Amino acid sequence: MEVVIASSPVDAGIGCWDLHSGAEQLRYRSCTSTPHGLACVGQRFLASSQLRDSSSSSGSILYWSWSKPQVEVKSFPAEPIHPLVSNSDGMYIIGGGSSGAIYFWEVASGRLLKRWHAHYRAVTCLFLSDDESLLVSGAEDGCIRVWSLFMVFDDIGMEMAKNPYEYSFSEHTLRVTDMVSGYGGCNAIIVSASEDRTCKVWSLSRGKLLRSIDFPSIIEAVALDPGEHVFYAGARDGKIYIASINAETTSSNSYGKHIIGTLSDNSKGVTCLAFSKDGILLVSGSEDGTIRVWDAKTHNIVRIYRLAKGPVNNVLVVRRPLYSNRQTSENSHSSFSRRHAPLLPPPLGKYVNSTDENVDSGAVSVPQTPSSDIMDAPYLSYHVLTKQISELQVFFIFLS
Amino acid sequence: MAAFKHFQNMYDISLKPRLLRSLIRDHLPDEKHPFPRPSELSIVVSAIKTHGLLFESCREPVDPKQVDNWKTAIDAWVERLLLLASSKMPDKCWAGICLLGLTCQDCSSDRFLASYSVWFQKLVAQIQPPSASHFVKVASCASLADLFTRLGGFSNLKKDGTSHAGKLIQPILELLSDDSSEAVWEGAVDLLRSILIYFPASVHRHYDTVEAIIVSRIMSEKCSATISKKFVYCLALLPKSKGDEVSWSLMMQKILISINAHLDDAFQGLEEETKSNEVIRHLVPPGKEPPPPLGGQPMSGEASNQATKASEQFILHRVSLLVCSCCTMLTNPYTIQVTIPVRPLLALVRRVLMVDGSLSQALLPFFTVIQQESICSDLPLLHLCTLDLLTAIIKGVRSQLLPHAADVVRLLTEYFRRCALPALRIKVYSIMRVLLISMGVGMALYLAQEVTNNAIIDLDFIAYGWGRASYNPNSKATTEALHQPSHRKRKHSTITASFQVQQSGVGREVETVKNKQVTPIAVQIAALQALEALLTVGGALRSESWRSNLDLLLITVATNAYDGEWANEEKGISVLSFEPNCTWAEFQLAALRALLASFLSPSRVRPRYLSDGLELFRRGKQEIGTKLAEFCAHALLALEVLIHPRSLPLVDISSRSQGEFVSSFDHRLPENLFSVSQKNNNCTFPGDILVMDDPELDDDLYSSWLGNGEETDVPMSVPDKQLRSAQELCGKDVWQATGDCLAEKILSDSTGALFLMEGDGGATGAAHMEIGGNGNVIMTESEQVQEIVRNNDVEAQDKDIVISTGSFTLIEGKPKKGKAESNRIYASKVATTISSFSVVNGMDSSDPVAAAATAKSTPAQGGLITTLISEKGRGLSLEYNTDASMDSFPDIVDGDPDSD
Repeated sequence: MEVVIASSPVDAGIGCWDLHSGAEQLRYRSCTSTPHGLACVGQRFLASSQLRDSSSSSGSILYWSWSKPQVEVKSFPAEPIHPLVSNSDGMYIIGGGSSGAIYFWEVASGRLLKRWHAHYRAVTCLFLSDDESLLVSGAEDGCIRVWSLFMVFDDIGMEMAKNPYEYSFSEHTLRVTDMVSGYGGCNAIIVSASEDRTCKVWSLSRGKLLRSIDFPSIIEAVALDPGEHVFYAGARDGKIYIASINAETTSSNSYGKHIIGTLSDNSKGVTCLAFSKDGILLVSGSEDGTIRVWDAKTHNIVRIYRLAKGPVNNVLVVRRPLYSNRQTSENSHSSFSRRHAPLLPPPLGKYVNSTDENVDSGAVSVPQTPSSDIMDAPYLSYHVLTKQISELQVFFIFLS
Repeated sequence: MAAFKHFQNMYDISLKPRLLRSLIRDHLPDEKHPFPRPSELSIVVSAIKTHGLLFESCREPVDPKQVDNWKTAIDAWVERLLLLASSKMPDKCWAGICLLGLTCQDCSSDRFLASYSVWFQKLVAQIQPPSASHFVKVASCASLADLFTRLGGFSNLKKDGTSHAGKLIQPILELLSDDSSEAVWEGAVDLLRSILIYFPASVHRHYDTVEAIIVSRIMSEKCSATISKKFVYCLALLPKSKGDEVSWSLMMQKILISINAHLDDAFQGLEEETKSNEVIRHLVPPGKEPPPPLGGQPMSGEASNQATKASEQFILHRVSLLVCSCCTMLTNPYTIQVTIPVRPLLALVRRVLMVDGSLSQALLPFFTVIQQESICSDLPLLHLCTLDLLTAIIKGVRSQLLPHAADVVRLLTEYFRRCALPALRIKVYSIMRVLLISMGVGMALYLAQEVTNNAIIDLDFIAYGWGRASYNPNSKATTEALHQPSHRKRKHSTITASFQVQQSGVGREVETVKNKQVTPIAVQIAALQALEALLTVGGALRSESWRSNLDLLLITVATNAYDGEWANEEKGISVLSFEPNCTWAEFQLAALRALLASFLSPSRVRPRYLSDGLELFRRGKQEIGTKLAEFCAHALLALEVLIHPRSLPLVDISSRSQGEFVSSFDHRLPENLFSVSQKNNNCTFPGDILVMDDPELDDDLYSSWLGNGEETDVPMSVPDKQLRSAQELCGKDVWQATGDCLAEKILSDSTGALFLMEGDGGATGAAHMEIGGNGNVIMTESEQVQEIVRNNDVEAQDKDIVISTGSFTLIEGKPKKGKAESNRIYASKVATTISSFSVVNGMDSSDPVAAAATAKSTPAQGGLITTLISEKGRGLSLEYNTDASMDSFPDIVDGDPDSD
């Protein structure tokens, strides 16, 4: 089931709607998420980093399982965590701290595997490349850095290398608000948005700025057309601008160079964007607490959900496993879902355990579908029979 | 009754019961008839298999009487089998049991469910009495195994199956602990495996006994390799019977400790003593009790001291079996999540791979040559299975290898430098391939240099024969030189030189190579596959240092692989082949695959050897019926996108008014595609050509087209005329005139584009865009015209969407090269683009280039048609390239734009 999940900085819980039917699912309670601080970990559970009042020195990351509205696991990292991402199989959670450090946790054991100083100012957004070997981080000072995760874990290589990062882009002058990457592994492009009212298109393989586009308003969120023909930029003025990624366009446009259109319904500022799997439905979250689903082809609004009175600051479109769909009829299915829904992992650790004496690295093998076994056990009797017949024949010949 | 009733044909269902009855009558023994020759039985089996005599179901509904008839025939069959199975004569009994096993496999579900417990009783009786012959025991084991395999398919019978299987464990253990024949062991272990796979819970009660017996069989020297492998597999499956994390981890820990202890014995004197402790330290945390030894009895360490040194060879054999069991545990699915002890596993791998049989100086006196010889002869096997273990670790821990990836890579590269045996090199290449594909570009950054260097050695059968290259330390120096930028140029030029030599005398070169002892083909194939993986994941990022070398190497190899003709896949076993199954044809395929990867891997300019490669693929495609031809067809398809890059807009303008079609298209209903001719608009650009060519095209669209674009006064629906006007246009003077000025524009404008890229914001305008948009031009214009007609208000927007195509690499690549060569192909397209753009644009005077283009290209309206034709008919555009561009373009580069 493809669902839209959304969260808000004010406590309105995490809303969850079926993208296609529009039916609201369970609402997960007590979440005040940071921008980019909502993640679905390996389709198994939801995680969100929480806004903290400035007095508390530690951060907070909460887990919800699909089937229960309450917070199930609470973790308290050493500092407030802003953006949160997870890799596709849900083995790792990566968070960006307010000091500019990046935290790398192993989900299954909760261990903090690595913490490194990535930026001078707070990290604002994070994402993993296509093949999940590169991590891209954006910071409050406008700096964007590309990290090879291998390098991060390779202490020896790190010492030899000139820079710990692969690239560092400093063309943005103000806070990076959102980043998104395209298709194509190491040849992908990155689109970043910043408070300096520009969006910039970067080439990952060459580490260069390809294009900078000025917008009439600050862009809070970007989403990339799956065909990478255009990208969508959600602005504070409430419009979603459509900008072309690589083709030249005439400047006769009313919005500015490279901007070729807008999606708009005169609402408040757009704070977050996400594409559905089919690449046609575009989901946007707004300052006014609503979530709109647009048809990118017709530019019409297909659906509107309401999350909260306050602003929405995260929307994600995720696939949700079907078993957790059954919380409605409690008795008949609770045992089922309990058996099949894996228990949530332990809380995330606070510090890197530098004395890694004997602790197993905690690698976990995921149980796979047992169907692959069938191939291992072919029927035997036919082979045994033919083998024995030929043996017998030899015997008979020997006799006669 | 049936004697005169003939069958329809050989598929007739009434044939089946009749055949079955004749089989029972003529070929099966019964109480009175003695057992026929065994060949009779194979007739029965083959008839049953071929005609599906036991299926009891058919595709079409048939007369229930016939079904009944079939049913009674099978009843009779089963009855006879059961009778035979309880016969006192071992041969009859054997036949009955074997055929019963076959029936378990083939009969209908209903019949199986109704009678399996009866059959089970019958079969289980045969493995228990000690008097039964081995033949019968083996056959009953196999039949029982099939019964459980079939039963395992019914998920609702788990409990029943488990209780049945539980009754079998004791008899199986007896069979296994008997010192009976190997065949019986094999049958019993196969049966055990089936039970462990489908009804693991039934073994739970006997866990320790089963473990002890399996381990004792693995450790004994009596079993042959294949049977040992089966025991090993059962050992790996055993934890499933408990199904919890503890038993899995305990089993893994026990096996690793056992391996380590064996290695202690085997590697005495070959490594430092501390190595062993390192692994143990990871396995058993200090202060914790070590687990009981594998199989319950102490074996290595003290026990093996009793074993004589003569069995040293066998120690390594045991180790490889245990390692194999580890691999199975790592890669086989388990019921729940378990923690894989990555650290000790990797420590173990490192320990083995570090031992190469060399002796430290201090130990020389204590070691006899014979001892060293014996260990050295077995080490490669051990290394091989350790590399297998490494592969299994990588597969098992998946993305969680990340924290250890650098370690693994370092270990592997270090090993690779020393590794000189073909089988080992193949294994290392394959591990690198797995690493590259699974871990992506980050891994490519690490491995690129190593893979490239090694592959150059293995594939460079021009300059460096393998025999010298990997043994001679000097040649290592030459590869080292490849690292250093200062030397790269020299190396590159030598390869280039040899490539040119190659080009001139391919046949001869290959001949000499063939006669020389070079790298085994299997290694070369592995090297090519590793290169393919490297290019696939990491061709773009930081690849400057190795990419050009590699591209050159691959085209050289592919050209050489094609030595006049493609090898025949069936009989093409070359003299060169190392293993009989590695043929020259496979090498060719591997070479072409790698070549395709080299073309497709992102680069900033057009792949240099593209046309050479295309030629190879085209020729390869002609080898009808081979894998090579299939692959070449695929390669040509893949490269088509490279030549006509697409960046397709989401919104198909023509479809806006055809919402219905779009939705049906989205749901992939291909039957709708051509039902209405207008829908052809949706098929990218060939579709548009279709529209142009199709005289039956939708009237509405057609007239609107004609009506709007006032320039298009040439009636386009008449193909003859189209062609004629095209030929007219292809007249040299016109073409060259347009071509000249446009090519000039390209150069100037694309330089402008470069500045623009750097953020310099020039007024380059539309020309730049058109350069990028080389592939989709035709679609562009046709859609736009429609758009103008249908939807005037959105025109400005949509034009932008449609035109935006192309890529940055293209734009920036050109001015850097600054050569006519790179522009050649695009020139024709750009020419047509620009002129057509002006058509669409309706002579937009604010656009200088388009205006210029329209001004220069004499018949402006003709440009459109030329575009279509030169795009469509490859012949025309090719002709243009060869005729006009070759001699005219050099002039353009430094010539005067106003020369015409």
